[in-house]
Amino acid sequence: MELTGLSLTEVLTVLGGFAAAVTVLYLLKLRRRQVEVPFVHLWQQVLAEKQSTRLFSALKRILSWLLALAAVAGLAGAMGDPRHEGASADGRTTVVLVDTSASMQATDVSPDRLGRAREEVTRLVEGLAGDDRMLIASMDATTVPLGPLTGEARVLTDALDRLAPTDVAADLGRGLRFAHDVLRGEPRPRVILVSDGALPDPGSAGARLREAGVEVDWIPIGVGGPNVAITAFSVRRYPLDVSRSEVLTELWNPGEDEASIELSLLGDGEVIDVQRLRIGAGERLRRFFTDVSGADQTLEARVRIEGDVPDAQPADDRAYARLPERRRARVQAVTAGNLYLSAALLLDEYLDVVEVTPADYPAEGRFDVTIFDGWVPATPPDTPVIYLDPRPPEGTTGPFVITGALERPFFDRLERDHPILAFTALGDVNVAESLAVELHEGDRAIASDGRGPLIVVGSRNDHRMVAILFDVRRSDLPLRVAWPLLLLNSIDYFTMQDARYLSSVETGEPWHLAVPTGTEEATLVAPDGSEHPVPVVDGRAVASGLRAGFYHLRTGDTEEVFAANLGPSDEAILTPAEVLEIGGAPAEAPERGTPGVRTEIWMLMVLAVLALLLVEWFTYHRRLTV
Amino acid sequence: MLDWLRGGRASKPATSADDDELFDDEFQRRLDVLALVSRRLVAGRTRAERRSRKTGSGIEFADHRQYAPGDDFRHLDWNLYARTGRLLLRLYEEEEDLSVYILVDVSRSMSFGAPDTKLRYAKKLAAALSYIALANLDRVSIVTFSDEVSQRLAPTRGKNTIFKVFRFLRGLKADGRTGTADAMKTFVAQNRRRGVAILISDLYDPEGFEGGINTLRYHKFEPYVIQVYAPEEVRPPLHGDVRLIDNETGEAREVTITPRVLERYAQAHAAYRARIDDFCTQKHVPHHAVSTELPFDQAILDILRRGGLVT
Repeated sequence: MELTGLSLTEVLTVLGGFAAAVTVLYLLKLRRRQVEVPFVHLWQQVLAEKQSTRLFSALKRILSWLLALAAVAGLAGAMGDPRHEGASADGRTTVVLVDTSASMQATDVSPDRLGRAREEVTRLVEGLAGDDRMLIASMDATTVPLGPLTGEARVLTDALDRLAPTDVAADLGRGLRFAHDVLRGEPRPRVILVSDGALPDPGSAGARLREAGVEVDWIPIGVGGPNVAITAFSVRRYPLDVSRSEVLTELWNPGEDEASIELSLLGDGEVIDVQRLRIGAGERLRRFFTDVSGADQTLEARVRIEGDVPDAQPADDRAYARLPERRRARVQAVTAGNLYLSAALLLDEYLDVVEVTPADYPAEGRFDVTIFDGWVPATPPDTPVIYLDPRPPEGTTGPFVITGALERPFFDRLERDHPILAFTALGDVNVAESLAVELHEGDRAIASDGRGPLIVVGSRNDHRMVAILFDVRRSDLPLRVAWPLLLLNSIDYFTMQDARYLSSVETGEPWHLAVPTGTEEATLVAPDGSEHPVPVVDGRAVASGLRAGFYHLRTGDTEEVFAANLGPSDEAILTPAEVLEIGGAPAEAPERGTPGVRTEIWMLMVLAVLALLLVEWFTYHRRLTV
Repeated sequence: MLDWLRGGRASKPATSADDDELFDDEFQRRLDVLALVSRRLVAGRTRAERRSRKTGSGIEFADHRQYAPGDDFRHLDWNLYARTGRLLLRLYEEEEDLSVYILVDVSRSMSFGAPDTKLRYAKKLAAALSYIALANLDRVSIVTFSDEVSQRLAPTRGKNTIFKVFRFLRGLKADGRTGTADAMKTFVAQNRRRGVAILISDLYDPEGFEGGINTLRYHKFEPYVIQVYAPEEVRPPLHGDVRLIDNETGEAREVTITPRVLERYAQAHAAYRARIDDFCTQKHVPHHAVSTELPFDQAILDILRRGGLVT
């Protein structure tokens, strides 16, 4: 305890002076009001009884005097402004990085890891001394300061209230760089990590922090517990039967014990399949749900450990996926008659096909896709186009400049990852003849012979285009499954329907979401219902989210739903790290201050004096001490 | 609260109202009513005259008594002596005026009370009793006293003399110490004619109230004690540390007033009144304690109803 106001000598002088004055005042005989009465003898009896209590009255008077002395002592002490030792020490600057990644939602400690972290930081705030200042930041994929760099405990406590869990992995390097920037030039800098230690390598950020002389401390959180996580979840519709889907789920048991689990699949919120599995320690288990029907829009997977020991990490027990949209496409087929083409288009019940001859072109109505079979109009239509053997009539120019013909071409080079070629096998297709063409700028041959392209994608008249440069009837392609797939993939390619596995977006990563043409602004509705305006750049809404679940993207009158999941990470590992290496050295346990070291003792003393006066005033008026 | 804030001023005795307004027209109308009511109350028993059993001048035979040496032979009943052989004296009812003495305490303690001081209240009582007595053709004399007889209104008779009574009462001021015994000795020495002695006082006598009353009794007066007290005296509006000073003797006592102390004081005051009542009852002295908060005419009616004053 030390005095920061009056010195001890001055305090004692004040105390002595006022105590003496109070004592003298108490020694003075009380000046009483004089009251005339008609017959003082009547009071004699009353006063005679009072005589017996004279000793008690004297004691009460002494008590009153002692109360007054205590009040004087309290006030004199308050003038000294006493503080705890260390309250006036040189301030240190601390950045507290609170890990808010998905693993901090684990419930292996009460109430959960983030709650425990909040308690630890609260103790740090209570231990702030002297001119100490602190900044609290949440650290997940990004690092966000929750308040200013301040020494005000209340501001810091308010900042703590803003801590919220996320479903993303932490980026320690980014957090340390943030702390480095904050602490640059500050006295006695220190970083305190409040985390379970499940953090990625910070790279050079830790070393730079050490070089700058910043003390790096760590408060470990968590004790570990059983956990089975869903690490992958994706869905695709069958290309030839879009009413059914196939679902891939990957499970991971990062613990040290085998676990019995129950894996549930929910379609549009209803349970459509349940599987019971055993998963060994450290095992990654993939499970397919085939021929999944009954879900039209959303799928959700849930995993639960069976038995008495609950899963300690709820954040990775659920995964979400959005089924590809099934939308009817209107197709205009301009052909003089091609049975193979008509048959292939009949395979997809979601296609509305209108066939017209070149003479009747164009047909009435609007179309999503136009197919020109062996014929090319003078001007390209205002839709995406599939050209089959695009030979323009004489006197007109087609989509390509034809330079000749390729005899018996083979599919020598294929871009197998291109969505149009998905699930196709074209390597041994026999073709009698193909057109030799000059490609336009931006055109891309996704299948070609060594002499020239066979299938080209590009754009014409600001619309996408796919060109199959040979007459399919003069090949064995129509006899293969690849023929309808090629057509349907192309139509899906135009209508934004993707036959690939639909992986959900990853939390914490930037999302580039397709929006209708002409959209300038969009609103992202998070799973918790909160709405956030997001920018639209190059025809795509750019957004990000920190929680897994279904998000809604509003653009004008339309609303798209998509799913977000925790990306691949080690967040499922609940065993806390024993050592946290930062910049080549282990992070130490922080030095904690003494709680209450900054308490304004003088204020408490004044309050105590006021309470004393209140007691004295009450007892005086109730005639207890007089 | 304001009184309390003003401190000592609140504890001073209230000043008496202007005595010029004491016996106004309203007061006299209430006296007329009282006189009328008093006749009704005592009708058939008295006609304002008082009869004494004396031998001599009366004409109406009343009784006999044993002859004693020194009695006038002329009143011996010889016929009875002839029949019984006993010497008996004939007694006759002798009508005489009743002398009513109203003894008003004007000591300084009578200046207490608000809005009416005890003295002012005593004046009203004295005026009312005087009016009733005068209306009944009695002789009324008013004597004031503290520790001695201070003023005296000569015996007067007839209703028309009531204004003399008013004038006399108006001029009375509270002063001096209470000394009932000495004052009554002086009174009985000065007034040989016996009669009813109505003592109006607070009886706050440090030497004891008994001596004065006994003096009246011993000298064949018929005392009637009216004790006047103010409600503030029963439960004084006091609190805190005070120095009590007797306004007659100047004696002082220091005391801290608490609700408990006030309660004990009220008990002491009640005990004092009970002591007066016990004494008067034992001595067959009619006694009436009246608070100044009771309207004076109500007090008079209570006194008349209780009896003993007018027989």
